[in-house]
Amino acid sequence: MSELKENLKAQIIEQLSLEDLTPADIKDDAPLFGDEGLGLDSIDALEFIVLLESNYGIKIADPSKGREIFHSVNSLAAFIESNQ
Amino acid sequence: MKITTSSYISAAGAFLNGQQKFTFRETNWQKECYQQLGLDYPKFHKMDHLSKMTVLATELIYSEGHLNALMDDEPELLFANANASQHTDMKFIESYTQQGNPSPSLFVYTLPNILTGELAIRHKWYGENTFFITPQFDSSLFAERLYHAARKGGNWCLCGWVESKVDEKNKVTEECFLFLVALTDNTADRSSFAAALDELLTNYRNGNSGNLNR
Amino acid sequence: MENKVFLSYGTLVTPIGIGIDANFHSLKNGISGIQQREHSGFKQENWFLSTLDDLSENRFDALLEKALSDLKKSYSETVLSAPETRFILSSTKGNIDNLPGDVFSSARGIIHRQTNNPNDVIVISNACISGVIAINTAADYLRYSDCDNVIVIGIDIVSDFVLFGFQSLFALSDEPARPFDKNRKGISLGEACGIIVASREKTHTSAVEYLAGASSNDANHISGPSRTGEGLFRVVNKTIERAGIHRSDIDFISAHGTGTLYNDEMESMAFTRCELQNTPVNSLKGFFGHTLGAAGVIEVIVCMLSLEHQLLFESKGFEETGTTQEMNIIQQTHAAPVHTVLKTASGFGGGNAALLIRK
Repeated sequence: MSELKENLKAQIIEQLSLEDLTPADIKDDAPLFGDEGLGLDSIDALEFIVLLESNYGIKIADPSKGREIFHSVNSLAAFIESNQ
Repeated sequence: MKITTSSYISAAGAFLNGQQKFTFRETNWQKECYQQLGLDYPKFHKMDHLSKMTVLATELIYSEGHLNALMDDEPELLFANANASQHTDMKFIESYTQQGNPSPSLFVYTLPNILTGELAIRHKWYGENTFFITPQFDSSLFAERLYHAARKGGNWCLCGWVESKVDEKNKVTEECFLFLVALTDNTADRSSFAAALDELLTNYRNGNSGNLNR
Repeated sequence: MENKVFLSYGTLVTPIGIGIDANFHSLKNGISGIQQREHSGFKQENWFLSTLDDLSENRFDALLEKALSDLKKSYSETVLSAPETRFILSSTKGNIDNLPGDVFSSARGIIHRQTNNPNDVIVISNACISGVIAINTAADYLRYSDCDNVIVIGIDIVSDFVLFGFQSLFALSDEPARPFDKNRKGISLGEACGIIVASREKTHTSAVEYLAGASSNDANHISGPSRTGEGLFRVVNKTIERAGIHRSDIDFISAHGTGTLYNDEMESMAFTRCELQNTPVNSLKGFFGHTLGAAGVIEVIVCMLSLEHQLLFESKGFEETGTTQEMNIIQQTHAAPVHTVLKTASGFGGGNAALLIRK
């Protein structure tokens, strides 16, 4: 699980071109969206959909579920574990 | 029309009213500038280089006063560059030609005027905004448009020349020159204003020679 | 006393016609340029686009050449080449095939060569509000600078770059765009070139008076419209105030109406806040698609046709109200007294722009 989380952080940085950040800057339980945490928004959520599909082969059928799944690195990792 | 405050940032450093405020050592000097300014604005890290530089150079101007005292629709934003969003355009093209999918988070930055949107969001400014493309810094165009803004009853205009260009060898050329203009001050005619503007930018560029050829 | 400013149409090159008359004829007969284009998108997906068939390889340059040639049929070389004439080009992406080089250099070259005008071409690239901003800028030059005519060219083409980008945002409709409709699904992209001649003198029969214009930012999000329509609300009020008219004087609004859920909703909020919800309104995106930097210019030309012919055009694709605030969407093209027209635009970067014209 911790390896998955580290990989996810690197992939988030790559997918979103967050060249200022390193994986250490992203906390496991910090909110990814909204003004706290990374300050991501609905456009970035689209990148997460692409990321899950291309790196983990998981398709998100209902984009409205995205907000829960993409809440933090923890919730993302849990979602991937239970869908693989 | 009178320039009350100016700032300039490039790889070599950050300047405010002709004085050097910071020098940069890191390759990612925009992040370094963000840290030196002590900013806490997570959205910054998502921005393209044009928006990052503009946000940083505006923080410098902001620290000098004037801007914080204005009404929310008062500062008119008048920006220009030579290469529009070329740097991000190339990254976006790479996303669908090399990396498998067109990237939405890059696509939204493939317009030069996004930087005025980022400034408006950061400072809650609802005023006029225009983005021009000119082959080089065009002081007479700025002077003319500022004169128009003054004639229309405007009070303040935040102007900028912001460039981020990548060449075939992946070499990046970047600079950001901002100047805040008090429109109601009648001390300069258009041609002497334009001349002063050219001189100011030349001084900034010479003050950190080599940054444009990095 | 400020100089008066008049706008006349120069030309309009779109998938539904080459020249003003051909476009007028198509609009009157409800003909849209939007068609399904096979394998046009990323991963060869099929999308509905309003594209020109007969452009050569270098499509942006070819479209500009064609439009300028048509302009020269109705405007003399003397006017076009005069030092007192300025050119403003409104485009979001210019000739994108020139990347990583200058995407606007070929346009500058073509304008100089076709017109022999000695001045630098003023290029405005301000996303989807570029066209309205360009016309507002032209009016400033005529009012406050030493200038007799400003020729405003709005042009953009459909490119892989822009199509793939809107595809990545899930902003495209899988049927022709239906602005303001309950079942709207997004944008249909389009390409076009429109040319307006702004002048101090009323030299052309199509001339309308330009009253005022303004721009404003939502200060909310770089790609999502404001939920409250704040920027559009402000810019419409500012434009009305600058023009010195009453909002009840406005006979018709040519809205932005892209056909996305959020944009159209935002406009309904803003117009209602401006107390303009009962004023007849349309979006022309169901005819031309969203032509980005050309949109403001070509849509103002159609406003001029409404004023000339006393005719309001249908908002193509609209059937049933689909915004929280109900608006008076024009369902059928019909004759009506039209004297004062409001044109608005909204776009990426949170920008909004508006202008008022009168005949």
